[in-house]
Amino acid sequence: MSMALFSSPPTHLPTISPQPPAKTLFTHKAYLSLRTQNRLLLVSTRATDSGSGVAGSTVVVEEEKLQQKVSEAPVSGSDPKSESLEDSLGSNGSPAATGAQEAKFVTKFEDPRWVGGTWDLTQFQKDGKTNWDAVIDAEVKRRKWLEDVPESSSNDDPVVFDTSIIPWWAWVKRFHLPEAERLNGRAAMIGFFMAYFVDSLTGVGLVDQMGNFFCKTLLFVSVVGVLLIRKNEDIENLKRLVDETTFYDKQWQATWQDETPSSSKKN
Amino acid sequence: MASIALKTFTGLRQASPENHHSISLQKAVALPSQTHRRIQIIAGKTSPKITGRNLRVAVIGGGPAGGAAAETLAKGGIETYLIERKLDNCKPCGGAIPLCMVGEFDLPLDIIDRKVTKMKMISPSNVAVDIGQTLKPHEYIGMVRREVLDAYLRDRAADIGATVINGLFLKMDMPTSENQPYVLHYTCYNAKTGGAGEKRTLEVDAVIGADGANSRIAKSINAGDYEYAIAFQERIKIPDDKMKYYENLAEMYVGDDVSPDFYGWVFPKCDHVAVGTGTVTHKGDIKKFQLATRLRARDKILGGKIIRVEAHPIPEHPRPRRLFGRVTLVGDAAGYVTKCSGEGIYFAAKSGRMCAEAIVEGSENGKRMVEERDLRNYLEKWDKTYWPTYKVLDVLQKVFYRSNPAREAFVEMCADEYVQKMTFDSYLYKKVVPGNPLDDLKLAVNTIGSLVRANALRKEMDKMSV
Repeated sequence: MSMALFSSPPTHLPTISPQPPAKTLFTHKAYLSLRTQNRLLLVSTRATDSGSGVAGSTVVVEEEKLQQKVSEAPVSGSDPKSESLEDSLGSNGSPAATGAQEAKFVTKFEDPRWVGGTWDLTQFQKDGKTNWDAVIDAEVKRRKWLEDVPESSSNDDPVVFDTSIIPWWAWVKRFHLPEAERLNGRAAMIGFFMAYFVDSLTGVGLVDQMGNFFCKTLLFVSVVGVLLIRKNEDIENLKRLVDETTFYDKQWQATWQDETPSSSKKN
Repeated sequence: MASIALKTFTGLRQASPENHHSISLQKAVALPSQTHRRIQIIAGKTSPKITGRNLRVAVIGGGPAGGAAAETLAKGGIETYLIERKLDNCKPCGGAIPLCMVGEFDLPLDIIDRKVTKMKMISPSNVAVDIGQTLKPHEYIGMVRREVLDAYLRDRAADIGATVINGLFLKMDMPTSENQPYVLHYTCYNAKTGGAGEKRTLEVDAVIGADGANSRIAKSINAGDYEYAIAFQERIKIPDDKMKYYENLAEMYVGDDVSPDFYGWVFPKCDHVAVGTGTVTHKGDIKKFQLATRLRARDKILGGKIIRVEAHPIPEHPRPRRLFGRVTLVGDAAGYVTKCSGEGIYFAAKSGRMCAEAIVEGSENGKRMVEERDLRNYLEKWDKTYWPTYKVLDVLQKVFYRSNPAREAFVEMCADEYVQKMTFDSYLYKKVVPGNPLDDLKLAVNTIGSLVRANALRKEMDKMSV
């Protein structure tokens, strides 16, 4: 291997041109507008339902809009900023890269609510409480951004945000409840029909079934099944998972499996 | 010092800190016919006595595996030949050795360039976690240069009585009848032969293949192939003020940008740092991953000069056959590199020693012929001792290197002191120590929590891009 001397590492990534940020920016916008519409719809229906408090609901809507705007601003703001950074570094004749064949491109995630490596929770206050949903949204956006534009880690500016500061109920409310409704529905339907079939085939009534070990096992199996298999692909995924976990064992056991052929060949 | 600390870690626990109970089950399956084989071993002592000379064993390859094997063989009274092509070979390698290796192999402290006492793990979203606060004052991860370590082990073998031959192994003639010698063909290089070398042959009774990933011994016994990862590494000389930061600190970067199934690293070396990454699944993209690794570490290695670029294969699993007749494989040639951490030096040296011990024992210090069952004794002991370690690391890799959210959860998990203690204890002493069941449970709950949270965020991210 040649001991060629190269110019310094950092770092022009041809893949990271200004293009991807622009693209993601577009998707952010689309997403945001979608969400706003959703909320608008929700709020308005609630308003008509309750009859009173129409004025109050409109205020909420405006607030929501405002917030969306705020969150939108930083993303669009970071784009020009990164370009200007690039310019300045390029014109300075980048300090480190000895060869400096290419201009450097520096991007950094920017958001007014992202302060000192964490989300400034005071800016997420709503009605005196932290709006955890918005925190989750913001973090999702940040991670998405970082996935498209990986950022160099820095010791001066460490990331201290930890998703565990978001309380568990905020996660449950957002991610589990919509799903739970369907799961409960499924479990109930399966339970009902199982009970029906067992009754019609064996003549054992619903109450008696509860005392029967076999029926209890069936119940357990169906609950686990409903939890594990939520979509059709899940069956395939589970199968693959089992294969994967035993694959390494097979690779290790290969030596022992050829024990008989190899020892017979020896003679 | 290290050996004293070692004694406290006696118990073996098959479960990882994450409570993968399935492991213990599978372990039982892995070694089904243990009692059956034990009977064979006793029968091994009936092998014919050798008269007029001692047992001759050739070790092919002079790395840690070969060096350790040759030393143990020579010490056990066996006529040992060690064949190595490049005696000053500077193998591309991370060069990290666990603390227990220093004690077990009695390594002098001056071959250790750096003592790493701090590790930084950096997640895809740049959350950095310091691990190593739980280390006791005398504990460290040693960083060595391979040319130094290999030469030291080889020289020690030579001092005890092994014959070190500077030569290139070419091929091997299999014995036609039982107890006939193997005939090795090799090109010998020395002051007389010059660069062209001279073809020679050597008759031996047993062969240890310690010749690395592209093993010729493995080929000549049809050992089969293994899946391998490619590791790419650049040695970068960085300014002194930046080097200060890496004085006793190593960094690990995880993320899809850095490697889809492994990690990127910055390891301190004697006077520079090694920046690299590895992958099994996307070997063609390795340059891209290396760029990404440099980008992630950019601020800390700014102004550095690349002084050397290297790449090497890392075995992913053992070869289908590690033993044939009186030929056996050790170290990288056999495929003893852990998943997840990609560590191989200690396991190479240890397997070399264990194999040599089996030969010494089977031949009663070189007085009798060895047989396949004696060597199989080594394989059995090896698998029994280290299989749990390999399996745990395989599970860890499969769970936590799977995707970015899993990596986020991994880094979150590593912030926990209990995890750090368990990881370092098992890394430094190569023993899986019993944990506190309550802490294990807490850890399991926390880890699942982290995984669920990270995956929930992931789902939202996917929704965004649609």
